[in-house]
Amino acid sequence: MLQSLREIEGGVRLSLAFAARLGQLRRAPVLDSFLRQVYFTGVTASTGVVLRASALGVLIIAITMDVLDADVDLAVKILLLVVFREIGPLAAAVVVILRSGTAMSAEMAMMRVSGQTRALRYLGIDLYDYLVVPRVAAAMLATLVLTVYVQCLAVLGGLALSPFIINASFTELTGRLFELFTPVDFFYSTVKAVLFGFAIAACCCYHGLNPPEVTQNAVPKVVTRAVTQSAMLVLTINAVFAYVVFGILFFGLVTAKV
Amino acid sequence: MKSEAALAVSYLRRTGHGDLYIGAPGGGMSRVHLADDDAKARFVTALLKAKCEPGEELELFGEPVAALAGPARARLRRRIAALSPIVGLITNLNVWENVSLAAAYHGTPPLEGVAAMAGDVLSAFGYEARPFLARLPDGLAPLEAKLAELIRLLAAAPELAVVDALQDGLSGAERPRAALFESELRARLPQATLLFVDSKEEDS
Repeated sequence: MLQSLREIEGGVRLSLAFAARLGQLRRAPVLDSFLRQVYFTGVTASTGVVLRASALGVLIIAITMDVLDADVDLAVKILLLVVFREIGPLAAAVVVILRSGTAMSAEMAMMRVSGQTRALRYLGIDLYDYLVVPRVAAAMLATLVLTVYVQCLAVLGGLALSPFIINASFTELTGRLFELFTPVDFFYSTVKAVLFGFAIAACCCYHGLNPPEVTQNAVPKVVTRAVTQSAMLVLTINAVFAYVVFGILFFGLVTAKV
Repeated sequence: MKSEAALAVSYLRRTGHGDLYIGAPGGGMSRVHLADDDAKARFVTALLKAKCEPGEELELFGEPVAALAGPARARLRRRIAALSPIVGLITNLNVWENVSLAAAYHGTPPLEGVAAMAGDVLSAFGYEARPFLARLPDGLAPLEAKLAELIRLLAAAPELAVVDALQDGLSGAERPRAALFESELRARLPQATLLFVDSKEEDS
């Protein structure tokens, strides 16, 4: 319990420090580190893993449409509500956790254990500036871009696949998609993706910089904790976000009637 | 401990076996041999942190560090640099990035000057600058790693340069070349206080 409270406090402190130091991205080594992280989190992820995540989205559409015996309207609504709003950001977040969250937490834990963070301090380099700010900012940007990428691939895949499952042409489906698409769909997934990226990177940086012990044995523990907690944070944000945006904003407080 | 303005370093540690006192005159070169690695690590850490633990007293450039506030301590730290296992290289950065990191982060000294100095030092040791600076620390021999740390120290242009355990980990063939470090330091930091620290454990 006490440890959980400490972790929450540490996470909040780290988040505030990140917000206060965002301007440090102007410094050359911080910007270099940011670009490097964008490359590793965003660019290198955009081929294999994300393509598979997009294929999963397409598969979900195909199965759902088949099971629900969907017409054009329902097919497009599934594409927008399930794939665009939910699966896109979640698939991108999973990719970022698995590829970059693990790497980030392990790298920082190794630096901490081997005394490299101490070396940075003695060089007068702030750990938040050099290690946390570029990673968190890059993860936010990369998660957003990956989300848009997954959304585009999954929706396009869904549109291309749907004519084989339901009685509608690609053009008909696309036309209906543009009719039903609202800016809320875009902002909802954009803000969520940025929050996912922030939560993942902040959580991984926090655990990386605060290993339970300063020995090599701590590194796998750090990675396990970072990945588990990032995944839980992403799911929590997703649930809270869906409830706040669609529960309260559009329909008032949701109540169950038995 | 009496404050002596001419001393760059004045350090006192009270132990159960007696007091340990180290004084280094400003602008000169001093050699300190400590009884064990623990005593050496405590001393070097106190210098680098500009902070003393209970049982220690430290004055840097005539200024007692015990009562210093955060910013004043940070200013004092900027005047000190070390070639020490405590301040090793960052393994995911190549040698150039390691050497220039502090200069690039703080915006001073200019990177062109650092690059020129690094080239000069490396050529004095018989290395070609470009390939050496592109290497990662894990691929460096012990002497090469210390050379990279020396360049980083020189780039910081400190008023107090601490060289900790210079011979430690070097092979018999590398040890004579490490002696060149002293002449490089003296030539490039003529005004600085040089403090060579080692322990008897390393010697044995």
